Amino acid sequence: MSVTEERSWTARVRRRAVGALPPEKLLPDRQPSYVASWIYVFGVLSLASLVVLIASGCILATKGPGWWHVTGIGHFFNSIHLWSVELFFFFMVIHLWGKYWMAAWRGGRARVWMTGAVTFLVAVPCALTGYVSQQNFDAQWISTQAKDAMNSVGVGAFFNLLNFGQMYSYHVLLLPLAVVGLVVAHILLVRKHGVVPPFDLRERVSQEPAREPETESD
Amino acid sequence: MAAVFNLNHHASYVHWHFFQMAVANVVVIIVMLAVFIAAIVAPFPGRRGTHADREA
Repeated sequence: MSVTEERSWTARVRRRAVGALPPEKLLPDRQPSYVASWIYVFGVLSLASLVVLIASGCILATKGPGWWHVTGIGHFFNSIHLWSVELFFFFMVIHLWGKYWMAAWRGGRARVWMTGAVTFLVAVPCALTGYVSQQNFDAQWISTQAKDAMNSVGVGAFFNLLNFGQMYSYHVLLLPLAVVGLVVAHILLVRKHGVVPPFDLRERVSQEPAREPETESD
Repeated sequence: MAAVFNLNHHASYVHWHFFQMAVANVVVIIVMLAVFIAAIVAPFPGRRGTHADREA
């Protein structure tokens, strides 16, 4: 390795990246046999919903928040956006339940679990700021109720739910950026550590102390 | 959905002591639980044999 290469930050980043995630780990063509179960499908279903969600959101953002009120095609894309977020949360919650009962933080996967859980927590306000960006009476009602909720927990000075510009910026830029960033980190960590295996029941049974035969107490 | 369901009325709620939730939300939660259980017990296409068979 040349001195120039040693000093180059791009070469150092490349070495670290390839060391942590070699190509065969980043894009594997085989998975363990236990992945052949429906419960392992909900992560990728969440991801597919997110792709549709972001794509339909980009189209809606291009035409503006009032577009869906006045055109049929705008209404169509708004409906795609709504139902993809419904499916995103539907699949993500089942994915979360599955991973919780599998104790998916086992085997040095704590960061995988944490990025997934934080993604869920960040996705909630991301969706709720969408409800206050609808430009209708429903949005006005939700924003006044949410404003009271924010004030009641002492964070009303930081977020003004009645400020449409602020909520719209959160909805189309800041929060989606955070969700996508967390999802990318989550996927890279899954690639690095591998999919969590199920509990080995035979091993657990063999580790349990042998049960004494029951005797009569009297 | 509005073509299938009549949405021109107040939402229906399940109310029991302190618990209150819209019927639509209760239905979604029940469907999620059903899908979760089905995902655990339903056989996956293309999967052959048991865990022990594969390791043997």
